[in-house]
Amino acid sequence: MNNVFRSAAALSLLAFSGLVAAEVAVIVNPGASKAPSQSQVANIFLGKDKSMKGVDHKDWTPTKDKFYSAVTSKSESQLKSYWSGLVFTGKGQPLPSVAGDAEVVARVAAEADAIGYVDSGAVNDSVKVLFTLP
Amino acid sequence: MLKRLLPLAICLASTTVYALDQGEYRLNGFGTVGFTHLGGEDEGRSYGVSGQTTDAWRGDQLSKFGGQFSYGLTDTLGVTVQATAKPLQDEWKANIEWAYLSWQATDALMLRAGRLRTPVYMYSESIDVGFSYPWLRLPDEVYSQVQLSNYEGVDANYSLPLSFGSLSFQVAGGQAKNRDYFAYDELYDIDYDKVFGANVSLASNDFGTLRVGYVEADITTDINGSVVGVVPPGVGVSQQQSLLNLKKNKGKFTSIGYQYDDGSWLSANEWTRRSVEGDGMESIDAFYLMGGRRFGEFLAHVTYAQLADNGGRQTSWTYGLNYNIAPTVVLKGEYKRVDTSGGYDGVFVRGAQELYQNTVSERTNGAFGVPARNYDGDIVSVGVDFVF
Repeated sequence: MNNVFRSAAALSLLAFSGLVAAEVAVIVNPGASKAPSQSQVANIFLGKDKSMKGVDHKDWTPTKDKFYSAVTSKSESQLKSYWSGLVFTGKGQPLPSVAGDAEVVARVAAEADAIGYVDSGAVNDSVKVLFTLP
Repeated sequence: MLKRLLPLAICLASTTVYALDQGEYRLNGFGTVGFTHLGGEDEGRSYGVSGQTTDAWRGDQLSKFGGQFSYGLTDTLGVTVQATAKPLQDEWKANIEWAYLSWQATDALMLRAGRLRTPVYMYSESIDVGFSYPWLRLPDEVYSQVQLSNYEGVDANYSLPLSFGSLSFQVAGGQAKNRDYFAYDELYDIDYDKVFGANVSLASNDFGTLRVGYVEADITTDINGSVVGVVPPGVGVSQQQSLLNLKKNKGKFTSIGYQYDDGSWLSANEWTRRSVEGDGMESIDAFYLMGGRRFGEFLAHVTYAQLADNGGRQTSWTYGLNYNIAPTVVLKGEYKRVDTSGGYDGVFVRGAQELYQNTVSERTNGAFGVPARNYDGDIVSVGVDFVF
């Protein structure tokens, strides 16, 4: 079910952008003390697990869309609805965000407990790839 | 189970918090602009938690606006204020819904003190934020049961990430004095002492979220209405009739809710039971079952709701269609068909005189007064919910 959904999301992205499918890489600092699984990454980016610092993208990019639909099964409006349920109940604030893959890589490279996701083309030696989303 | 939880609890000891940093602030807003209409009932008959739906198309009855300001005093201490403007009894009223200090004691534990939302229902804490739930009007059968929306006191929130989701606990205590209680088409003064609430919520990434909550309070209120007599020798004579008198009677409310959303299918369900010691009535049970499916930016949903009260019953079917105009703006349309049975008013509004006439009829075997009847209506609502 999830795979069907994921490939459907990937297909629609393909159709939308007309680009070759780029992979999304979930990245951590090379000195990271743990390697969270995909469901733990979902918890981190949904604000439920505060043991690592998630670094998000400011704008709704194809990379962000792919990451959230694959990891949390949420679209942009569903994610906004989810966060509004937390913000207005005082139970959470959306993660800090930066603009662009290069910024995310720089932030993750700078903090030992940071975690982010970028287009796999933007990955360099300053960060470690945890896993990629096809 | 505990053995699996323990290492997780230990790795929570690191220091990241998602409270605001010192000096950081956030300003967020939300609102609803809605129009609603009740058809198929008598002229002038109203319906709703505060009688807000009538046979006139009106734009102010479902509408509301809110703003929230949060500020980080230190990296772990913060202040949050939420104000709303919403109509009550034909008048717009400004309310301070939240005003509290919060302390993120650890990654998992947050303590708050001040004016807080009462965690009564599954959607209690975001009850004014229509954007956070699929309906334009929350199922009235359940959401009319407790009218207390906030209290002064403290709460503790504890959340624990699990490998498949998260588990959270909330405990709340305080009081709420001089609040409004809508009954028999009027607003009455009501006090809630010793408000206590506790709930637990288990969220799983793949199988939805289950929430079990309980709230109790000592309730004091004196509801009486001015009625015109219909029994000899008092025919035509105006008199005061006591309708409900509570002096620190304990009210208890239980809610069991379940939500599921996999991105295309969603479901929201809640069962509630309310009882007040010494009010001479049985407990009131209500529930709703909702299922929906997304089609691109559209969401189609259907809800069955039921309210059972001392032999009377209200049932309803709601059909809704939502459309995401933008990621933070949703257009909603709903049709709700409501029926009652057993001479029960349900969420329809009966005035004091009507209630008196019905009661007299029952007690005199129909010799005087007017027998209670059933109600039915078609409610159409259209509106827009947004957040920013």
